[in-house]
Amino acid sequence: MCGIAGIQLRHGGPIGSHLVKMCQAMRHRGFDSTGFALYGDPDPTRLILRLRFPDVSTWVAGTDAIIAGVRELGGDQHSEHGVDDAVGAPDRFVRLQVRYTGDIRRLAVMVDEVAPGVELQSIGHSLEIIKDAGDAEMVDARHHVSAFQGSHGLGHVRLATESIVSVAYGHPFWAEPFPDVSIVHNGQLTNYFTLRRLLEQDGFRFQTGNDSELIAVYLADKMSRGQTFYEALKDSVYELDGCFAYLLSMPDRIGSAKDMFAIKSIVVANIGGDVAMATEEQAIRAVYTEELDDTQHPDPRSVFVWERDGRVLQEIV
Amino acid sequence: MSQSATAELVLDADDGHRLNRRMRDAIDAGTREIRVVNPRSRHNLGVGQHGPGTIRFDGSVGYYCGGLNNGAEIIVSRSAGWGTGEAMSSGRIEIGGTCALGTGASMRGGTIVVRGNCGPRTAANMKGGTLIVEGAVGYLAGFMTHAGDLIVCGDAGEALGDSLWAGNIWVAGKIAGLGADAVVVEPTDEESARIHGLLAAEGIDGTFTFKKVVAERKLWYFDARDPEAWLKV
Repeated sequence: MCGIAGIQLRHGGPIGSHLVKMCQAMRHRGFDSTGFALYGDPDPTRLILRLRFPDVSTWVAGTDAIIAGVRELGGDQHSEHGVDDAVGAPDRFVRLQVRYTGDIRRLAVMVDEVAPGVELQSIGHSLEIIKDAGDAEMVDARHHVSAFQGSHGLGHVRLATESIVSVAYGHPFWAEPFPDVSIVHNGQLTNYFTLRRLLEQDGFRFQTGNDSELIAVYLADKMSRGQTFYEALKDSVYELDGCFAYLLSMPDRIGSAKDMFAIKSIVVANIGGDVAMATEEQAIRAVYTEELDDTQHPDPRSVFVWERDGRVLQEIV
Repeated sequence: MSQSATAELVLDADDGHRLNRRMRDAIDAGTREIRVVNPRSRHNLGVGQHGPGTIRFDGSVGYYCGGLNNGAEIIVSRSAGWGTGEAMSSGRIEIGGTCALGTGASMRGGTIVVRGNCGPRTAANMKGGTLIVEGAVGYLAGFMTHAGDLIVCGDAGEALGDSLWAGNIWVAGKIAGLGADAVVVEPTDEESARIHGLLAAEGIDGTFTFKKVVAERKLWYFDARDPEAWLKV
């Protein structure tokens, strides 16, 4: 089933608490895991690595090894890392800030090599992905998502249907090796293995066997070859098979696309310069409690882009 | 009869526990007017209700409002999501704003009135009753309709009446395209008067020139090896 949510605030604000409320309102769509892609103020001198050590006993040595690895690649630690404070948890989450201007793929490969088993949840100058088991309020209680201020973000509640229940397989996904690209997806792809093989031949790595991760990598690859965000989304409607409604985000925009039968719903609401989208309208109403005057249910093959400067691109391809 | 028979019962959807059951119980106990405040686009509001009684939702509702209705009058002051009045058998549903996908899907009887527009697949698999849309309908309206009247005062989208079995679709505005086996026929004066009567009963005045869409019935019996007969997509 799953539920997706996105929000973009005209003047920035408490996107973390908004997304927690939206995802909690869709708790019934799945609570195997809940995740958030949050975009804060971008800092080009700093990369934020969000890490999860599934085995809590490995996090100290693993973090040290990753920092040493960053130095070997010519970077350095930017400022003190943050660690989640859950008592007795079997795993540990670390937020690492580094100065690094090199190749992101090398950085991601290094992390895997020096800290085997670690899950690299996101890399970005602005993007931070927080995902964990349980519903939105459980994830918020441990990771303080509600405190996050930013411009825009995505949320996802997961009921695993196509792959295993685990934190790593939860959404959102980032598009290794492209920083600051994140995706949430509701649906299933049916040409996953074909596309994955093609992307792997081009050198891409996949952290999971989840089909949604592929969409992020597939779209980021298109953009790296010179396509615009909007063009990549439009191509996806015909190149991805299956049923899907997804939201893709980058530091300046959120986009959405739906497959040609559009059986996965999205409601889009414009509220005084803010834009919110979710699988269910009641999720939007958890934040904007007044009646909504401007809502729409995008048609099949609809592609939208909401730019941070307020421009909206939309087309049925 | 007790006091509750005449008094309006006000329920708050923010306290939604067993809300539909509480409405049914109230109607069984003689309440005839129920008002639900703070619906906040929640799903499954007013599902499985029966008459006699009127349930008013002050605001917008989410998916599947009024589904399986069996005789209640359900009035939504604003808009509704997917599947409004799905599989209802009798009663009346009125939506003050717009409806999303699948309004009146598989309805068997009763009346649905939508004051605004409806999304795709309106009246899909309809098996009876009347569905009136004052605005426009999206693509695949009347898909596989078996019986009943879908009346559209505005425009209709692509693939109108695709695989229509029986039943009638009435469109006053433009038709973007007909689906497989759907044809436009000239209505008789009596038929036109009957449709205007249904509209007048819902407070919709004005004279419309309706196009009547019915099944050409070529798909009632056809040779599956002849794709020309059925393959339009």
